[in-house]
Amino acid sequence: MILFIYPFGRRIRKVAPKAHTLAEVMYARHGRSSQLMLAGSNIVGSLISLTSNFIAGGALIALLSPFSFGQGIIVIAAGVLLYTLWSGFRASVLTDFAQVVAMLGAVVVIIPAVFFAAGGPDMFEQGAQNLTPQQSNFFSSDAFLNQGAPYIAAVLAYAIGNQTIAQRLFAVREDLIKKTFVTATVGYGATIIGIGMLGVMALYLGLTPAGGDMNNIIPQMASTYLHPILIAVFLIMIIGALSSTADSDLAALSSIMMADVYGQNIAGKKKANPKTMLLVGRVTMIVATAAALYFASGQMNILDMLVFVGALWGALVFPVIASFYWEKVTNKAFTVSVLVALAVFIPVRFEWLPMNGAVGIVTDIVAVVGIGVVLGLMSFGFFGLKPAKIIGAVGALAAAPFAIGFLHDYAVLTGSLVAYAVSTGVCYFMCFRNSKTFDFGLIQQRIGDFDNRADEEAVEAAAAAK
Amino acid sequence: METFVLTLYVLVWPLIVAGTLFGICKGFFKDWREARQEGRTLI
Repeated sequence: MILFIYPFGRRIRKVAPKAHTLAEVMYARHGRSSQLMLAGSNIVGSLISLTSNFIAGGALIALLSPFSFGQGIIVIAAGVLLYTLWSGFRASVLTDFAQVVAMLGAVVVIIPAVFFAAGGPDMFEQGAQNLTPQQSNFFSSDAFLNQGAPYIAAVLAYAIGNQTIAQRLFAVREDLIKKTFVTATVGYGATIIGIGMLGVMALYLGLTPAGGDMNNIIPQMASTYLHPILIAVFLIMIIGALSSTADSDLAALSSIMMADVYGQNIAGKKKANPKTMLLVGRVTMIVATAAALYFASGQMNILDMLVFVGALWGALVFPVIASFYWEKVTNKAFTVSVLVALAVFIPVRFEWLPMNGAVGIVTDIVAVVGIGVVLGLMSFGFFGLKPAKIIGAVGALAAAPFAIGFLHDYAVLTGSLVAYAVSTGVCYFMCFRNSKTFDFGLIQQRIGDFDNRADEEAVEAAAAAK
Repeated sequence: METFVLTLYVLVWPLIVAGTLFGICKGFFKDWREARQEGRTLI
């Protein structure tokens, strides 16, 4: 799914080459309410992501070391906070290489090690009776509708709603954007699926999660089948990988607070003091770490949290992408469409409405439109508007006979699709008759650096040359 | 046959990840070398 973001990334860089956050671009494109809406959703998302990483680290430490879950999350949080506080995004990027090596190295070493320690190919023959018919079906509709499809919709929304991806988009060298996104797609996809293989093996081996907590499956597999030395390597590698995401979240949260809240809304672009911005960023990191630690103590299900926030961001995807291509999108349409989509998403996602009868059918129809929107958006970046409309329409029509009448049983997926559909519909109908158009060249003029370091360096270089 | 396919399915991901890791490491050290030769920071 990351690959589908790449064409949008190129467009965003072209329109706003000096931007720091997507919300900042929305301020230049629309105004304050759109910016704060995107910034707010980014803050919620990064906080949830930070919490998830602390929970995963805590679960790992609790199962693989003598320390408790509470001690584990405090150690991870303190470690990540210290080095990110010291050097911010620079530290995040510097440590990224080591963390990527750790994360990918863990998959390369640990998966085959567990596989052969757990009996190799024989486990598939001996453990086949542990699977339900749905679990043994490679094309299980249950697995797709409960996890696969919501995850597809969530990941598409991640790049728009998650500043950790956007900040890399703005930081990466322009000539390397394509290579970066292709590598990220292949590497991230294979890593996630590879780690998922531990779950597949656990299923065949009949391993049940300790305390009924699904977060424990991976550390349990490691502790059951790995040699103590490999367990230590596994622990270091996974903690490194978790820290990588956590430090990105801290950097993302601080840049949002620095650029979008302080820089644009409190001090104002021209009066913003770089030193005060740095202080705001650092205080944000401390507060965010404390908040994530508080939430992590609740030990919620990580996958549920990530899919929830991904679906929440579904409300933003169309208004944000359209704002970079369609000159008719207005601040009012952006704000109203996101708010209405959220207002519909929440009762559907949490099953507050009785879904039997007409409400269920209407929800299914809207969700089918959402399927068309997701397919259309994925195609638009690569093939342009006309093919995207055809692919979206054909996709929605093909899905309709199979989806209407039962899709509402899958609340996570339906909620996400409804968020996409409602925000798209409201935004489109509020804008298509708008006669005023926006000049995208204005964004580049309105966004610049908060400090004048580049100008000072140019003056110094000119003086040195004389 | 099914056992063979499942074995392949489990072990193919570490192989793909190994290839990606090799590409990332190669690129990182190339950039690092170039940065040192030109006397600038990597980031």
